[in-house]
Amino acid sequence: MKKNPGYELLNYDLFLGVGLLIVLSLALGQLGLIDAQRLLKGASNFILFAQSTLPPDMDILPLAASALVETVAMAFAGTLLGFVFALPFGFLGTRTLAPLPIVLVVRLLSGVIRTIPSLLWAVIFVIVVGLGAPAGTLALAVYTLGYLAKLYAEFFEGVDPEILEAVRGVGARRRHLARFVVWPESANNVLSQLLFMFEYNIRASTILGFVGAGGIGLYLNVYINTLAYTRVATILLLILALVLIMDVVSTQIRKRYLLMA
Amino acid sequence: MTMLKTFSVNTTTTCKAQDVWFAYRQAQWVLKGVSIDVPSEGFLTILGPSGSGKTTLLKILAGMLQPQSGNVELLGTPLINGTANHPDFRQRVGYIPQQLGLVRGMTTLENVLLGALGRINGGLPLLGIFPKVEVERARAYLDFLGIADKAREKVYRLSGGERQRVAIARTLLQNPKIIFADEFVSDLDLPRAAQVLTAVRDLARREKIAFVVNLHEIPLVQEIGDAVLILEKGVIVYRGAARDLALGRAHKDLG
Repeated sequence: MKKNPGYELLNYDLFLGVGLLIVLSLALGQLGLIDAQRLLKGASNFILFAQSTLPPDMDILPLAASALVETVAMAFAGTLLGFVFALPFGFLGTRTLAPLPIVLVVRLLSGVIRTIPSLLWAVIFVIVVGLGAPAGTLALAVYTLGYLAKLYAEFFEGVDPEILEAVRGVGARRRHLARFVVWPESANNVLSQLLFMFEYNIRASTILGFVGAGGIGLYLNVYINTLAYTRVATILLLILALVLIMDVVSTQIRKRYLLMA
Repeated sequence: MTMLKTFSVNTTTTCKAQDVWFAYRQAQWVLKGVSIDVPSEGFLTILGPSGSGKTTLLKILAGMLQPQSGNVELLGTPLINGTANHPDFRQRVGYIPQQLGLVRGMTTLENVLLGALGRINGGLPLLGIFPKVEVERARAYLDFLGIADKAREKVYRLSGGERQRVAIARTLLQNPKIIFADEFVSDLDLPRAAQVLTAVRDLARREKIAFVVNLHEIPLVQEIGDAVLILEKGVIVYRGAARDLALGRAHKDLG
C-alpha cells in the first residue's frame, strides 16, 4: 500500500471564507453593482468630477477655516457633555453595581438614543433650539451619551470579579466598589473610548451643517448644490487635514498616557 | 475598639461548619457533608489537590457563598439570610483570594486603605480623602511587612511577593478576627513561601487572629506545623496535626 502523507482539516475557516465570498457576490448582484457598463460609466463620471474640482478655490479658505474651527468646537463640547452624563449612566447600567430595574431602564434608554443617528438628532435639535452650532453640539452630546453609556456598562461588567469579591469582602459598599475597583480597573478603556468618540464626532460634525446644525457642513452643502466643485475640494482637503491631525494627536495621547501593563 | 456592636463574638470557636453540602450545578456536589471547627487564634491548613473543593469550602466558611445545606457559624454568628453581608461583620472577616484581588491601577497605599472601607461611612473616601488614623495604620503595616518604600508605587509594577504583602496589609487593616487565604503563597517559590507563611502565622498569633489557609504543597504544611485537614473530592479524609502528617501517606492520598 502506498503511504499517504495526508492532511487533516482542523477548522472550517476555509469554508467560511468561501461562503462569505458567495454571499457578497450575491448581494452585489442584487444591488446592481455587477454591471460592467454601469461601472465604466461611473468611473468616467468620477474622473469628470475630479477634474472639475481642480484647482481648489483658495479664496474661501478664511471662511472655511473659521467654519472648521466651529466644527471642532462642536465635536469637543458635544463629546465632553455626553461623557459627563455617560459615566454615571454607565455605572447605573452595570448589574454588579446597580439594582436590576434601574439597570434595565438605563440600558433601554441608551438603546433608544443609539437607534437615532446623530444626523437625525441634529434635525430634532434644530427644531428644538433653532439653527446653528448649539443644535449640533447637543446632537453629538446625546448620541455620545447613548453610545458611551452602553460601552462603559460593558467595560464595568467586565472587571475581574475576583477583585470585586475581595473588596466587597472587606465590607465596602457599592459606591466604594464603583470608585475603587470598577473605575481604576477600567479607566484606561474608558478614556481610550472617549478619545475614539471625539475622533468619531469630529467626522460626524462635518456633515451636521447639512441640516443647519452648525459647522463646516453648511458650506459643503451649499457648494455641492451650486455645483461649485472647486470650493467643495477646498473644504474636503481641510477636513482631510483635520482628520489626519486628529489621528496623529490621538495616537500620541494613547502612547503617552494610556499604555499600562 | 468596639466595631462589632450588633454581633456577639464567641471566643472559643471562630468558625464552625456542620455537614455542609454545596454544588455549583444541580446534583454535582463539590462538598459532600464537610464539618469543620476552627479554634480561636488557631492556624488551620486545608490541604488537597486542585478540584477537591478547597476554594469553595473557604468561600463558604468566609460567608461569601451560601451552601445548599448545612450550618455555618462565623465569629459566633450563624450565617443565614445575608448576615454575612453586613459591613460591620465583613470588617471582622479577612479574605484573600487566590489572585489576591488587588486593584492594579491604584497604588500600594490606596490598596491597603481599601481594608478600612467597611468602617468609613461618609463620602470622603470617594474624593480620595481618608482619615489620618487609617493612613498611619496602613503605613505601619507596610513598614512591618517591609514594603514601606513601595507605598506610592502602582500595584501592577510590583513583584509577586510584594503583591502578596500588599494583600496581607489590606486584610490586616480590616482588624479581622479571622483571615481566610486561598492558595496563599502559590506564586512564590518554596523557601520564600515558607518564609511568608511563618511570618504571617507569627503575626496572627501576636494579634490573636485565627487563620485558615488553603495549600497544596505538603512540605509547606509541615513547615508551618499546625492543625491540618485534607480535603479530597469534597470529603475530609484526614484531620490532625501537621507534624503527624506522614509524607508518604499524604503523597499517596493526594495522588
